[in-house]
Amino acid sequence: MSSLAVRKTRPAAGTTPGTAQGPPPSRRTALVPTITLLLGAAYCLLPVAWVVVAATKSGSELFSTFTFLPGTGFTDNVSDLSTYRDGVYWQWMANSALYAGLGALLSTAVSALSGYALATYRFRGRETLFNVLLAGVLMPPVILAVPQYLLLAEANLTDSYLAVLLPQILSPYGVYLARIYASAAVPADVVEAGRMDGASEWRIFTRVALPMMVPGLVTVFLFQFVAVWNNFLLPYIMLSDDEKFPITLGLYTLLEQGANTPALYTLVITGAFLAVLPLVVLFLVVQRFWSLDLLSGAVKS
Amino acid sequence: MPYTKRRRLVTSAVAVALGATTLAACGSSDDSGDARSGPVSLTYWTWTPGMDKVVDLWNKGPGKKEQITVTVKKQASGDTLVTKILTAHKAGQGPDLVQAEYQALPTLVSNDALADISSEVGDVKGKFAEGVWQQATLGTDAVYAVPQDIGPMMFYYREDLFKKYGLEVPATWDEFAETARKLKKAAPDKDLTTFSANDSGLFAGLAQQAGAKWWSTEGEKWKVGVNDEATKKVAEFWGGLVKEGAIDNQPMYTPSWNKALNTGKQIAWVSAVWAPGTLTTAAPDTKGKWAMAPLPQWPGGENRTGSWGGSSTGVTTDSKHQDAAAKFAEWLNTDRDALNALAKEGGIYPASTSAQLSGAFSNPPEFFSNQPEFYTKAADIAEKTAPAAWGPNVNVAYTTFKDAFGSAAKNRSDFTAALDTMQEETVADLKKQGFEVAR
Amino acid sequence: MTSTTARRRPYGVRSAPYAFLLPAITLFLLFFALPIGYAVHLSFRKVEVSGLGLGAGARQEVWAGLQNYTDALTDSELLNGALRVLGYGCIVVPVMLGLALLFALMLDSEKVRFTPVTRLAIFLPYAIPGVVAALLWGFLYLPDVSPFYFVLERLALPQPDLLDGGPLYLALSNIAIWGGTGFNMIVIYTALRAIPAEVYEAAKLDGASPLQIALRIKIPMVAPSLVLTFFFSIIATLQVFNEPTTLKPLTNSVPTTWSPLMKVYQDAFGNGDIHAASAQAAIIAFVTLALSFGFLRAANRRNKQEAAR
Repeated sequence: MSSLAVRKTRPAAGTTPGTAQGPPPSRRTALVPTITLLLGAAYCLLPVAWVVVAATKSGSELFSTFTFLPGTGFTDNVSDLSTYRDGVYWQWMANSALYAGLGALLSTAVSALSGYALATYRFRGRETLFNVLLAGVLMPPVILAVPQYLLLAEANLTDSYLAVLLPQILSPYGVYLARIYASAAVPADVVEAGRMDGASEWRIFTRVALPMMVPGLVTVFLFQFVAVWNNFLLPYIMLSDDEKFPITLGLYTLLEQGANTPALYTLVITGAFLAVLPLVVLFLVVQRFWSLDLLSGAVKS
Repeated sequence: MPYTKRRRLVTSAVAVALGATTLAACGSSDDSGDARSGPVSLTYWTWTPGMDKVVDLWNKGPGKKEQITVTVKKQASGDTLVTKILTAHKAGQGPDLVQAEYQALPTLVSNDALADISSEVGDVKGKFAEGVWQQATLGTDAVYAVPQDIGPMMFYYREDLFKKYGLEVPATWDEFAETARKLKKAAPDKDLTTFSANDSGLFAGLAQQAGAKWWSTEGEKWKVGVNDEATKKVAEFWGGLVKEGAIDNQPMYTPSWNKALNTGKQIAWVSAVWAPGTLTTAAPDTKGKWAMAPLPQWPGGENRTGSWGGSSTGVTTDSKHQDAAAKFAEWLNTDRDALNALAKEGGIYPASTSAQLSGAFSNPPEFFSNQPEFYTKAADIAEKTAPAAWGPNVNVAYTTFKDAFGSAAKNRSDFTAALDTMQEETVADLKKQGFEVAR
Repeated sequence: MTSTTARRRPYGVRSAPYAFLLPAITLFLLFFALPIGYAVHLSFRKVEVSGLGLGAGARQEVWAGLQNYTDALTDSELLNGALRVLGYGCIVVPVMLGLALLFALMLDSEKVRFTPVTRLAIFLPYAIPGVVAALLWGFLYLPDVSPFYFVLERLALPQPDLLDGGPLYLALSNIAIWGGTGFNMIVIYTALRAIPAEVYEAAKLDGASPLQIALRIKIPMVAPSLVLTFFFSIIATLQVFNEPTTLKPLTNSVPTTWSPLMKVYQDAFGNGDIHAASAQAAIIAFVTLALSFGFLRAANRRNKQEAAR
């Protein structure tokens, strides 16, 4: 159809290598994107499928049977994991949920405030401030962990939940996304109308702007949740008490048990599999809020 | 031997150098002794699995009497733990007790993170083999840690497959090479073993067996002997085998390696006393098919072995209760019940010689039930462990080993060149840190 | 706090952005600026050892001037690492962003099916922690345990060594692309979603095809997001650490200092030399800054030129 013609006149301009490899354009336009996405999903899921399969394998099956055949040890693996150090695994899981959940929530709040302010107000130093906040991602976290530890030690906060939470609240990515989204989703005349009605700035933000920003903020929350959930180095440096460990650090201690004890592969794989589950659930829940953006788009038009 | 003489000279030189420190340490431990009137609680960073159960024994038994409670904070093992300890120490927030591998002790001591506990635990010296104790004192009069576990090296082989291919257990390294070639001829798709460049401890142990002394001191200077004659001999030996293709060159501890052991693609492993544990998870299908023998020997050398792994318990300078901490460290690593529990819960092989044959070690490991004399043999081998000599930048030498030998193994190229690189980098790092290095 | 400032309106409007930004600024100062400052401070110092370096007081922190910096700049490992990363980045950034844009456009097009599933699936690798990715790719890349090699062997096809030479770059890039596409896809997709629907209506009425809408309207409108993802991808590439560290134990081909950040990590956590590591990190940060802001300026200039046209 017409898409063919366009492709001829503008060969691959602005498109991506993936397009060329994709299936040939068919008569039903929706088929191309659907198949492309399914291929992408298959590429992304295949390795994940391995984790799922591997989690069902017992120690001897893990290295001997064909990789994509499910094993018989899943329940044993889970019960082994649950009894390891009196169920400390579930404590790690709870800790991760706390760090990631509370951390991402606070992070989203800070990002929303900052993004909204940067997008809707014109004030002195706006761009400088924005650039400086963004520049925070330039310094590799590896090198910040040690100074952060030494500074928190001054405040006697090391080896505490706060030591892991606080440094991760500000997210330059989150601020950027929130700004982009606020400038696109919160029209200036709506804010001005609020002012005309005599609403305070805070009220305009919470009652008018915030609801409009929800879909973007969901993304920020998701990113930050995953970032905190998977962060390893900061908790590694900050914490010494394994009751406070997040799941990543806990799994690492299972892998690195010293030369005389081999890595507990089956426990680690099962643990990793279970650790990904909450994220999947979160994504599924978030999908519902993401669909909100369609609604808000409809309202706007 | 000329070496021993020099060592003694060095020892006294270091002792003099440390005189002031020792005095200072005594002073501080007196203070802490005064401070301790009520109950004391200590924190302990360790990676040994099941350590919390062992510590419970203390908290319910001797610790209760002494009013010393110990809390375990489980850590991940590895090089990064040293940095973590040093960072905590820099902030003055280190734990009271730390588990430390022997080769990490000089680094920890040189950063003033470990306290001298010679006045508290000096009298347990007789419970450990000389070579082991010397690692905890760094050859000085001070004592920086109490040895916990050791890893005397041994030769593990598939008894059934050796029989199948008509192979003899090699007693010397020459025979080892012959065995590898013979196997290659009989079964070209199989390897006797692999030379792995991803664990420096293995190579260090092999060099130790050959008589290498990687670090030593001359007066106020460090001397680095990474490419000494003994180590060169070891490097050439393994480099030769890799080059001619008699053994594999892929790293250990990968899923591939696990599979190679499990399916009998590799039929032997130069390892240490803790190997049964590793084999249990890496090659579960081969239970009861392995046997252990002493490490092959070098011609003319006395019958001895190197060590791979092992760790100790140290008391930090940050601890406000160093005497109490030292008391616990002594109990943990010398008390019968404690060591039994450590063996049972943590699967460690004790450094304390009296514990090596009792309790948990009267029966062979389950994976080696076919070899009832496993631990008697192990104790005999452990007794002949060559002394180890560590310096303040073992980590640098270890990293260079991984990179230089990794690429040499990959390209099947000259191992001695890799060894020279390792020597150069180690010396350069010492100099960069400001140490004086003897030529 | 904000409500009191808001009561006096003119002042409130002026001060409101600062009040809104206060938490971010405070957190930035405490957990970014201060540690960065401290790291920079450390980079100008070094530890000096006296004698054998044993016992108390044997190590002293002293002023080092620019020594750590000159050491880092003359360090061939750091330079080699940078060159390796350059080659790696040339694969990762275009492919990853290309795929991300493609998927985002597909998700945003009409009459697509299974989007909740595919969107989730493509984003999922982002949620897999590094430790797990290590095991996962180990199993998939190593010939002896990989199901792919199993299939290749059955079909009697050649079995390339993925962990050596040129293929190693592909193997590494693949992990980064696999892990990062979903993230960038969501960023672009969020921006696509923020485009008001009426923008398309006119084009649709004019009979523009979905592809034309994508090329002429959607891509230009999400250009800021593309700039952003490019910017963050460059930074992530220059700071590449996880993928090579992940594959390192599985092969002899990845040295400890494969990428500049691995060298920083090695110096800080392997060798305990936070001073040298800080100086190297500062150099990496500076190069990243120069490259990414150079890119942003170039992008802005083009935007302006296009706007002028």
